[in-house]
Amino acid sequence: MGLSMVPTPPTRHEAEALAGRLPPLLVEAERIAATVIQGVHGRRRIGTGDSFWQFRAYTAGDPVTRIDWRQTGKSGRPYIRENEWEAAQSVWLWHDRSPSMDWHSSRRLPLKSERAALLLLALSALLIRGGERVALLGEGDRPGHGPAVLERLALRLAQPHKRKPGEQDGLPISIELPAHAGLVLISDFLTPLDELRRIVMGFAGRRVRGHLLQVLDPAEETLPYDGRVRFDGLEHEPSTLVSRVESIRGQYLDKLAAQREGLAALARLYGWSFATHRTDHPPHAALLALFGMMSGAPQRGRPQQGWV
Amino acid sequence: MLSLGGFAFASPWLLAGFVIVPALWWLLRVTPPAPTIVRFPAIRLLLGLVPPEETPARTPLWLILLRMLLAALLILALAHPIVNPTAALPGGGPLLLVVDDGWAAATDWPARQRVMTELIDRAEREGRQVVLLPTAPNGAVDPLSLVRPADARGQAQALRPKPWPTDRAVALKRLDSVDLHGGASVYWLSDGLDDKGGAQALGEKLRGIGAVHFLAPPAVQTARLVALGPDTARDLTVTVKRAAQGEAPPVRLRASGEDGRMLAQAEGRFPEDRGSVDVAFKMPTELRNRVARIDIEGETTAGSTLLIDEESRRRPVGIASDRPTGSAQPLLSDTYYVERAVEPFAELRRGAAGELIKRGLSLLVLPDGDAGSGDERNALKKWIDAGGVMVRFAGPLMAEAQKDDLLPVTLRHGGRTIGGAMSWEKPAHLAPFPAESPFAGLEVPSDVTVARQVLAEPSVDLGAKTWMRLSDGTPLVTAEKRGKGWLVLIHTSANTAWSNLPLSGLFVDMLRRLVQLGQGQAGAAEGVLPPWQIMDGFGRLAAPPPTAQPAAGSALAKLPVGPSHPPGFYGTEESHRALNLSGSVTGLAPITDLPAGLSREGYVKAPELDLRPGLLGAALLLALIDLVIGYGLRGLLHVERRVGVAILLGIALASAQAMAADAPNTSGADPADRYTIEATRDLRLAYVRTGDAEADSVSRAGLQGLGTVLARRTAVETGDPMEVDVENDELIFFPLIYWPVTNAQKPLSPQAVERVNRYLATGGTILFDARDEGQATGGANDAADRLSQLLAGVKIPPLVQIPPDHVLTKSFYLMQDFPGRWDGSVLWVEPAEDRVNDGVSTVIYGANDWAAAWAVDGQGFPSYAVVPGGEAQREQAFRFGINLVMYALTGNYKADQVHVPAILERLGQ
Repeated sequence: MGLSMVPTPPTRHEAEALAGRLPPLLVEAERIAATVIQGVHGRRRIGTGDSFWQFRAYTAGDPVTRIDWRQTGKSGRPYIRENEWEAAQSVWLWHDRSPSMDWHSSRRLPLKSERAALLLLALSALLIRGGERVALLGEGDRPGHGPAVLERLALRLAQPHKRKPGEQDGLPISIELPAHAGLVLISDFLTPLDELRRIVMGFAGRRVRGHLLQVLDPAEETLPYDGRVRFDGLEHEPSTLVSRVESIRGQYLDKLAAQREGLAALARLYGWSFATHRTDHPPHAALLALFGMMSGAPQRGRPQQGWV
Repeated sequence: MLSLGGFAFASPWLLAGFVIVPALWWLLRVTPPAPTIVRFPAIRLLLGLVPPEETPARTPLWLILLRMLLAALLILALAHPIVNPTAALPGGGPLLLVVDDGWAAATDWPARQRVMTELIDRAEREGRQVVLLPTAPNGAVDPLSLVRPADARGQAQALRPKPWPTDRAVALKRLDSVDLHGGASVYWLSDGLDDKGGAQALGEKLRGIGAVHFLAPPAVQTARLVALGPDTARDLTVTVKRAAQGEAPPVRLRASGEDGRMLAQAEGRFPEDRGSVDVAFKMPTELRNRVARIDIEGETTAGSTLLIDEESRRRPVGIASDRPTGSAQPLLSDTYYVERAVEPFAELRRGAAGELIKRGLSLLVLPDGDAGSGDERNALKKWIDAGGVMVRFAGPLMAEAQKDDLLPVTLRHGGRTIGGAMSWEKPAHLAPFPAESPFAGLEVPSDVTVARQVLAEPSVDLGAKTWMRLSDGTPLVTAEKRGKGWLVLIHTSANTAWSNLPLSGLFVDMLRRLVQLGQGQAGAAEGVLPPWQIMDGFGRLAAPPPTAQPAAGSALAKLPVGPSHPPGFYGTEESHRALNLSGSVTGLAPITDLPAGLSREGYVKAPELDLRPGLLGAALLLALIDLVIGYGLRGLLHVERRVGVAILLGIALASAQAMAADAPNTSGADPADRYTIEATRDLRLAYVRTGDAEADSVSRAGLQGLGTVLARRTAVETGDPMEVDVENDELIFFPLIYWPVTNAQKPLSPQAVERVNRYLATGGTILFDARDEGQATGGANDAADRLSQLLAGVKIPPLVQIPPDHVLTKSFYLMQDFPGRWDGSVLWVEPAEDRVNDGVSTVIYGANDWAAAWAVDGQGFPSYAVVPGGEAQREQAFRFGINLVMYALTGNYKADQVHVPAILERLGQ
């Protein structure tokens, strides 16, 4: 009786509620990651790692320590043992948590933010399985690896977003990242391109390899409204009254295409990749492509598009 | 009120509201519809977009038209349009309603009453008083008075047509009792029939009071009258009279009996230049005598109904049965054959001759014997003179009688025997009938013979009196006309002692002819007759009203019909006379020469129709539609098309469901239905719920195991076993029911006993399992005793120990022992000679606890060890189960001797 009177600390409540929300997202992310990983394997490149890759004849200049004496003893010629390149990369992940992402045009579609979080987590799961270190951008964590990191990420994602000082809505915070780090930005990228360009420039200056994934609702791609419509923004933008939506649909689509083209050009400029994804499409394709972009050779000058 | 022919507006000034409709048009045109509000993340892309052509959003034209229609409907409804508006009453002063409420008004009484109510309504609207003057007398002459319309309405609604004619002269006098010198609006709702000038006088008088509206039905719709027609002797004939002349549709008449059943129909067509037509009903006598009333089809007035009493019916046949009948045995009785012959076509009465003739009779049959004492004879003679027909039969008594003046001929004493033991002659045959005989035309059968007869003394007129002869010429039937009646003598007996004539069909035909001969005579005047059943104005018979008074029977036919003597039956239920309206109304004539200045109108007029509620309803409906459209245009209806269709379908289905709510529920949600479906989906073995949970689970597991073995080894595939509750569940679906006997069971209720009996009677088989190894102790716990208590009332046949050649021993496996968990108890079955149910024993009783031997657990392993043991015993138990199921399903075909050789051969191995 006395026990039931003891108030439970509210933080524990929150944590439990968070944990309760966590598994579905995690499970879903793991599921998607599992379907994707079947097609992805190893680095297939020579590098530092534990796994044997190949024996190679000794050439002058190779360090003596790398001679595989057993192989050399068997054959009489000095052989170098090469391991697979397994250098763990640090990947920073970010997805747009601005109010404009918390939107869907139909109840049957997921929120853009939900889809973005799902993709982010699934990608994290894939990366962690691949031995990479992952961290959320701007959360102050060090990149970690191992299954525990995934749960930590999921917990972070489930917590309500707190805006950091200097952070703009819809844009990642510009912080110092180690050189050659990977960066994945998932957003609807509907903000003005100039601000994004500034941030991308900042990252690119540190030779960070970035990947942009634009997640859009189908309604944003097609503007399927008719007649007299008043559009209200989600981020305190001024509302606009359109007397006949059908008359401006063409202009809107042009403007959206221009925005995309600008994004693609931006990515191209800095050797980043850019892809788009619609929430009414299954997430696997986007994840596979994203993972492919990250693990594959950087495809300079050719932004990937059309595999949404 | 603005009136446009048959259309008027009660508040026409509200039509000015139509002025605002163009304004509404303009307003609706320039006001764009409310925008749909959409939250949209990509709004940054939308900002600053300028549509190429600047056409402002407009309310669609159809919506404007809809809204204008709504406004127009509203304005129209407020103006209160009325179709067929009733004009105000002309003139001033009170409203004088003269209503003909005689018998002829009943033809279209509802129309008259409606007109009355309408007129009174209008008087009420204008605040005028009403005088209601019915023209038919109603017994009391009370002075007229001015009454308020509300009271007048009550009077008018209580007014009913009377079954007697109007008396406008009396109405004229009553009119003097009310002061109408200030003038009045006069409406005369007439029946269109003149009453010897009374209409003219009344018309004159009314014209002096005020403007007279004379309402009369069209001439062809005035009431018609049915009267008893001439020559009702042969066929029932009625005369239909009418007031108008000219072409008219045929009039159809219907004759019905006292019970209201229709007996005959007849149709007559008025000659164009005549006001009456005679219609005859062709119907057999036996039907004719049952006619109690004749109606004109489609008319319900006192005049269109003619009541028929005994007066106009054929009289019944009386048989004097107060004398010795010859024998106590019916076939030898004097009257038996006459009764049998007359019964089919005439009403029979039996009694003393003197009593019989006091009531109406067409024919009196006197069997052999004396005609009675002097007084009786005189009464009979008088009756015959007045038109009665008396038929006498000869016989031993008559042959020995001395002198009888109630005979058509003088008889020779002793009679004549033809073909007796002392005679060489043969019994005589009949000669053909003379042409003048009433029997002429009847066929003479050759096998009718007469062995004895009485002989008439020859006389001059004997030949003329003879209606029938024997082949040797001696008269067999003689008759004499006395007064208006006939005296007929049949010279042989009414029974078969003297002749076989009563056995022949000729006898029946002869009697029929004789009955037709007699018109009979009415009974004597019955004195004063009280009213028994009285007609109302619509020709319906009912209990007499208090004003009806008794009438003298003799004067009834000439009584004038009126309030004190309404038409109907007078007398008692047994004997009554009819008083018809047609006796008082001699001729019908239309009202023709009314004084000038009366406006004639008809009754039929379209009723006033108020359009306001309909218009308001339509406007409301349009407003609702507009609301929905408005929501739809603003995107506030987040209902996708599919969902909308689903909702509409749902509504339609719901209404259909509501309509079909009374229909039986066939969805199977009913537990009994579910049980039935469950029980019949597969072949199922069933066990009886005992209330002992362990026993029930053993039963279930046992039947489960048996079902598995059955499916493995035989073609029988059973579903999961079912538990049945004998008290509640229907058993009839199961071929075999396993019934373990436990201590927990209570004796069956009567319903359950009935159900078990029905199950056993319709081919079910029950295996009772005492489960006690047959160790009957005779104590209170003895299973057999318990079973007999349990099944008190169930019809269990006597059981025998299973014989070695019983079908159970060979229906699938050959076996002689039937072990279960135990071994050793005897199996009891119904003896095979009871061949019901294909020889399958309805009840099998044993004690080996088979279910426990069959029982398997979830993995299919046996749950209980068998005693004394061994899997061989379990195998035998299963074999018994298979044999049992086969036995229940296939019956006795294995008992067929055809299989015996093969079985013997296998036994020999």
